[in-house]
Amino acid sequence: MKVDIKTTCRVKTTFWQGVVIFLISAALGLLVNTFRDEGILVVADWSQDVRPTVVSGKSMVISLGEAERLCMNKQAISIDARSPELYAQGHIRYALNLPFQEFDKYIDRVRDKIPYDAWIVVYCDGEQCSLSEDLAKQLVSMGYKKVKILLNGWTRWLEAGLPIDSGLQNE
Amino acid sequence: MRPGYPLTVGYRMNEDRIMAENMVTQIFQKLKTEGFLALCARLILGAVFIYASIDKIIHPADFAKAVYNYQILSYYLINLTAIILPWLELILGVFLIIGLFREGSVCLVTGLLVVFLGSMIFNLARGLNIHCGCFNTSTGNTNNAAMAWYVFRDGLFLFPAFYLFYRTFLGKKRTVKVYDL
Repeated sequence: MKVDIKTTCRVKTTFWQGVVIFLISAALGLLVNTFRDEGILVVADWSQDVRPTVVSGKSMVISLGEAERLCMNKQAISIDARSPELYAQGHIRYALNLPFQEFDKYIDRVRDKIPYDAWIVVYCDGEQCSLSEDLAKQLVSMGYKKVKILLNGWTRWLEAGLPIDSGLQNE
Repeated sequence: MRPGYPLTVGYRMNEDRIMAENMVTQIFQKLKTEGFLALCARLILGAVFIYASIDKIIHPADFAKAVYNYQILSYYLINLTAIILPWLELILGVFLIIGLFREGSVCLVTGLLVVFLGSMIFNLARGLNIHCGCFNTSTGNTNNAAMAWYVFRDGLFLFPAFYLFYRTFLGKKRTVKVYDL
């Protein structure tokens, strides 16, 4: 079989150039990341049970049993981070609605109902839903210290047959 | 001539002028060889890649979140990707503009664009509405229309990339008649 020498050379050139470009980028990226203040861990566990943590490194995740005990005894305020439409279709009993994507619009409506020292349980729906985590971090940054996340909250709450309500939030 | 003004300066200035003229001529010859369209494609893609890299380099943690949202990579590769990918984009953008390592740059840029587009189509197909994270690191959910726009925009960038790829690897070499100066 005939092999074109020019083509072989070009493939080789492309390959080593690609490798050099990648190595330069990797070296620069890792070097800058090591010495900058905003640097991140090179390898981090992004699995859901580990990911949501407060600054101290403590997990924000709460178990279903614990969430049920706190919310149903009104020792904690549950907050639904989903859209108002989904909230109206069904939500955890006594839960407030604070859609993360309309945070600025809704925070003033619920701020008075959430004391800064209260336990808060934030939830959304789905294994990969990040709204609750985003909302929890937003609340922590506002000064709320006792914020917990119920992962895949709505589905797990429904499957466990725990008390729910429906309808829009009272103004 | 002013007293004390060395005679050689005049000759040196003349040599400099000729060298500058030669350089300009060579640049124009290179442009003719490369072709105007290929030059435009190279500069546009270079600028796009540099622009896309800046916000990601400034906010690595936010970009890592954007990479996580794609839900394609293994958890342990997310941060490494968020650290290296923006710098790869920056280096590729710079190399495209200055024309260094052209074969490697064109190949990597085309490959990256195909991977980005593939990831977005994959997520659109499985109904996952996420923020693109292409030019800024904002995250959160979005809607189908926005995802479709990201796919369309990334598809547009593939045109200059494929053209450059064709000109670099598959197209016939253009020759330009060189005149004696």
